[in-house]
Amino acid sequence: MVNPFRAGLETERACLPAVFVIFGASGDLTRRKLIPALYNLALSRLLPTGMSIVGFALPEMTDEQFRASMREGVAQFSRRKPIDEVVWEDFASRLHYVSGKFEDPANFARLREALEQLDRKNGTRGNRIYYLAIPPSVFPVVNDNLSKAGLVADPEDGNRYTRIIVEKPFGRDLATAQALNADLHRVFAEEQIFRIDHYLGKETVQNIVALRFGNAIFEPLWNRNHIDHLQITVAEDIGVEGRGKFYEEAGAMRDIVQNHLLQLLMVTAMEPPVSFTADEVRDEKVKVLRALRPIVGPDIAKLTVRGQYGPGNMAGHAVAGYRQEPNVSPESNMDTFVAMQLEVDNWRFAGVPIFVRAGKRLARRVTEISIHFKHVPHAVLAPPSMSLSPTFQADLRVEDASRVDPDVLAIRIQPDEGIGLRFVAKVPGPSMTLRPVTMDFRYGSVFGGSGPEAYERLILDALFGDPTLFARADEVSAAWRFITPILQGWAKEPPEKFPNYAAGTWGPRRAFDLIEAGGRAWRRL
Amino acid sequence: MKIPLEGVERAITKLWEEEATKSSAPRLELMTVVALVSDARLLDRAKKAVNDLVCAQAARTIVAVSLPGGEAEITAEAALHRRSPDSPARGDAIVLEATGAGREWLPENVDRLALPDLPVCIWWVGDLPDHDDLFDRLLGIADIVVVNSCEMDLRDLEKLDGLVSRSRDRFALSDLTWIRLRPLQELIARFFDDEAATACLSSLSRVHVTFTPRENEQDAASTQAGLLFGWIVHVLGLPTDPAGVRWHRESTWSEASLGGIVFRFDREDRPEVPCGSLLGVHFECESARFAIERQKDDPDAFRWSREVPGVAAPPQTFRVAIHDESTLLIRCLERPKHDRLLEASLRAGSRAVRPVAPRLSSRPGAG
Repeated sequence: MVNPFRAGLETERACLPAVFVIFGASGDLTRRKLIPALYNLALSRLLPTGMSIVGFALPEMTDEQFRASMREGVAQFSRRKPIDEVVWEDFASRLHYVSGKFEDPANFARLREALEQLDRKNGTRGNRIYYLAIPPSVFPVVNDNLSKAGLVADPEDGNRYTRIIVEKPFGRDLATAQALNADLHRVFAEEQIFRIDHYLGKETVQNIVALRFGNAIFEPLWNRNHIDHLQITVAEDIGVEGRGKFYEEAGAMRDIVQNHLLQLLMVTAMEPPVSFTADEVRDEKVKVLRALRPIVGPDIAKLTVRGQYGPGNMAGHAVAGYRQEPNVSPESNMDTFVAMQLEVDNWRFAGVPIFVRAGKRLARRVTEISIHFKHVPHAVLAPPSMSLSPTFQADLRVEDASRVDPDVLAIRIQPDEGIGLRFVAKVPGPSMTLRPVTMDFRYGSVFGGSGPEAYERLILDALFGDPTLFARADEVSAAWRFITPILQGWAKEPPEKFPNYAAGTWGPRRAFDLIEAGGRAWRRL
Repeated sequence: MKIPLEGVERAITKLWEEEATKSSAPRLELMTVVALVSDARLLDRAKKAVNDLVCAQAARTIVAVSLPGGEAEITAEAALHRRSPDSPARGDAIVLEATGAGREWLPENVDRLALPDLPVCIWWVGDLPDHDDLFDRLLGIADIVVVNSCEMDLRDLEKLDGLVSRSRDRFALSDLTWIRLRPLQELIARFFDDEAATACLSSLSRVHVTFTPRENEQDAASTQAGLLFGWIVHVLGLPTDPAGVRWHRESTWSEASLGGIVFRFDREDRPEVPCGSLLGVHFECESARFAIERQKDDPDAFRWSREVPGVAAPPQTFRVAIHDESTLLIRCLERPKHDRLLEASLRAGSRAVRPVAPRLSSRPGAG
């Protein structure tokens, strides 16, 4: 039966009430991101009636202690401050905690009991969302125990639902990613699994789709006939920030490139989906990954660059090199920087080089996609074609097509989110001097204020059961299928000289050589 | 500083050129917002609201005020909007002051100053007169028309419904009071998000609305309560022909009976709550009860509760901030569009209240 009062409202759909269970609730992610996101959804009146949140982790804690700890997290990390006491009180009353080891099935029996009690009290009717804020190595035991405790609904069950949200890393290579997916699929159907990549929750990433498919002027140009090359930069100015142990296992390739950077590539290069439904969008995205030309054998040395930062300075302050970071080996060969030249072998992009780079301790924090258009085909402004006075002709600054700066469309993901178009214009005066100028659209300048955090959007989508902005199993595998041979090639050939770039710079010299070999250059960001 | 009308564009261009030497703020504008101020006492209020609006959505604003008497003339002031004196510019701020018969020239000059190829929003500041030629002429260039029905009488719902009819989809009507009502509609819709609760609607017998009246107001309901009434009547598909609506009025309450459901409107003075606002809404069905109640100790908070047999749902408290005019205007223009729900609710509401709030011009004996 349809709720007639929803018709025409901004929230035309309502999500069904559920219990949101966080595994690893004593960790940083819960305090910094998940609970502040859920609180902000409550503040915006977007959580369903009766929804409860249960934290599950090893440390002993009462509900009251858990609430106090989460309150500190919200006070510190919520985008809206100060805490709204009325909303917090209501929200906190729905926060609960279960302590115990994930390995012990008895703890899952206790969890089940707690969840059923909440069902009776709050009308959540057996609906569950599990958030795995735990290392992937623990996934199998949690999945098994959830299943054994009867805490996973059949996906065909029309009376209740179970969804599971999984945080990256989704494996560390193709084999482990496939094993992880296989393990999840033992217990959950693919439509119950929501693999979160917070980049997809960013408004500006979603705006790439709006820019490409909501405007008629860009798509006709979005192909090999007009595009010279693409650049994607995901640069961070911070170091490993106390995550040395994690980073020693991951590196920039696994931490950034395999997920965030390839997500940006997919939304930039995908074909228009038939509709904006989850599978239509994800089908088109995964086709991009399948079309990526594999980088294997000698191409690994030719088309990829890895780097590691050494000591340097950030904004005038001395900073340590990667090998001096806590929990990092002084001989570590882990990559903190990656640059690659990619090619998408399909009708649209064949022959268009795609230069990507990502790294830590780079000169600025900036994530940007830039589309570099081709030079004008003919120097129509060159002297012979113009009947100008000799004086005027002598002043011409544009003598051939290659000297006219090509147009660039830059999509800034963060910070200063927006879109800029660089094109050339005539400098006022008697001479035909051309200069690049930009037209800038900035979200902050036009719309002001701050939108919802990526986690808010993604958690809400999971509540609605909409997986459009989540990674599908085949997408994860396809990404690893491309990345794994490069990692294997790197493992066989240790880097010649690490560290090879100073903190606070734009990466190793070879990254510049990679792009400059073709007569191109990285955009100054 | 006052400048001649023909100098406005030049002055604005110069201000942006100066701005470019001080900040990197790009000149980006989404629309032209025209605030029509019929009473000079409302001028500062309008200026503040449009400045706040532009801090959230870059726009050119034209505040047009007419002063009676004096020589027929329009003078202008041009400046740039800023969050604070030191912050980057956000949009063009134009004030037009028309004196004497110069008022008649405002529409074509507003049209001339509107940004090309971008939507024009006409905001009528204050109570909307029954007939105003200036307003009617400006409707011709409007894409969006914004009013605030809380400054009007209940009978004016019919006037707004007439405005929708006259628009023939050329412009979208928006009402700041309706924007204020939206979160409460969401809370009411939340009552019926499960099938068991929706099923109860077939036995709905009584809807009880409490509102805070305007000073000296004698209307059966505030316009906000009237809009809510219209929305519920529209959603439930209740009959609104005059023969099917029976009203009973007392000094502090009124009741309307239609389609077998009694709607009761109670007045309650709450000085801390803006006039016309809703204080509570209760639905009574055969075996179920649904309620939202504005909290006494925190007027921005609503307690939501329901009792439906066999369905557990704990009461909840929701923050529904009492937004000021600026915030309502920002919300209103965030996603400007034809709001069919407002139009349908105005239609149903104005018809249902007609027996107790007839248009002045149609009152027997009215000149």
